[in-house]
Amino acid sequence: MNVVPFFEWLDATWLASFAKTYAGLFSMVQAVHILSMVMLVGMIILGDLRMLNVVLKGVPSDVIIQNTKKWIYIGLVGIVLSGIYEASAIAMKLAYNSFFWAKMAGLAMGIVFMLSFRSAVYSRAPETIASTGPKSDAVEPWVVKLVASASLIIWFSVAANGRWIGFS
Amino acid sequence: MLNELLFEFATWLDGFQASTNLHEALYAYGWVEATHVLTLTLFLGMLLVIDLRLLGVAFKELPASTLMERLDKPMMIGFVVMIISGILLYFAIPVRSTQSIWFRIKVVLLIAAGINALLIRNMTRSADLAWDNDPVPPKRIRVGAGLSLSLWALVVVCGRNMAYDWWDCHKEMPYFMYWAAGCVNELAAFE
Repeated sequence: MNVVPFFEWLDATWLASFAKTYAGLFSMVQAVHILSMVMLVGMIILGDLRMLNVVLKGVPSDVIIQNTKKWIYIGLVGIVLSGIYEASAIAMKLAYNSFFWAKMAGLAMGIVFMLSFRSAVYSRAPETIASTGPKSDAVEPWVVKLVASASLIIWFSVAANGRWIGFS
Repeated sequence: MLNELLFEFATWLDGFQASTNLHEALYAYGWVEATHVLTLTLFLGMLLVIDLRLLGVAFKELPASTLMERLDKPMMIGFVVMIISGILLYFAIPVRSTQSIWFRIKVVLLIAAGINALLIRNMTRSADLAWDNDPVPPKRIRVGAGLSLSLWALVVVCGRNMAYDWWDCHKEMPYFMYWAAGCVNELAAFE
């Protein structure tokens, strides 16, 4: 699939010319992108570290995970909207940038992983991790820890590849 | 006076070969900067969790003290990494950073955020937090948490804007801006 025409189209939109014109506004959108990352990844880190029993051990994990959801979604909306704005200004650079594509792959993987495995496994965490009482469908502790580690690695790769777009 | 002293200090740092080496090492410098930005997710992430609880908008089922006490360590680990990587970034580009209006505002905001954090710590230290289990803490706590989040968001904005040269010393600027940014050579031209 050739995606270059999409970036050529994006580069020609009014959004792209607007984003390229106002440097001060662009830097503010960049800050929003970073702050959204703090909200999104911060909440994911909290959940993952909790399931690794690194932080808040003994506090019912369901309560933690449930509370992070709303902020994860707010962070995602903020990061995608500010990201589209930023991307429009450098569309033709991104179309051929390896770090951008690695980041997009990681982002897609992160979202799908979060909504599928991560969510399903965390809700079936055994008592030694979850502290919410015995469950009949509990998985092995190592499964939970593997999922938590994978989640941390995926989101780290998204953020690190994102930072590296600027250096490339 | 202070501008001259800071400039002298920055020039002295700039004389180290290690400073130039770090600045010019694409991967080393890039990773120090990436570490500085990525560690925000740990440091500000944990701070966000605590402050949202103190604002009474999240984690309301949990006692505020539980989050404050037990997320303190991961937050401070993040903070230490931020400070170390930040010092390295400053060391790599000392003169320009010293004469950056954004960096100067950022330092002032950091001090303000630190004082605010101490005030919150004092207000929440008493062992008998009567409101510990309340979903929404008292107003003074919420004001402190809101202030904390606002200050740190502005710190991020200033840090991000340091990358831009809009108000660098080599630009044509009014006297006040040269003074505020500490452009000692440009200021001398006004004498």
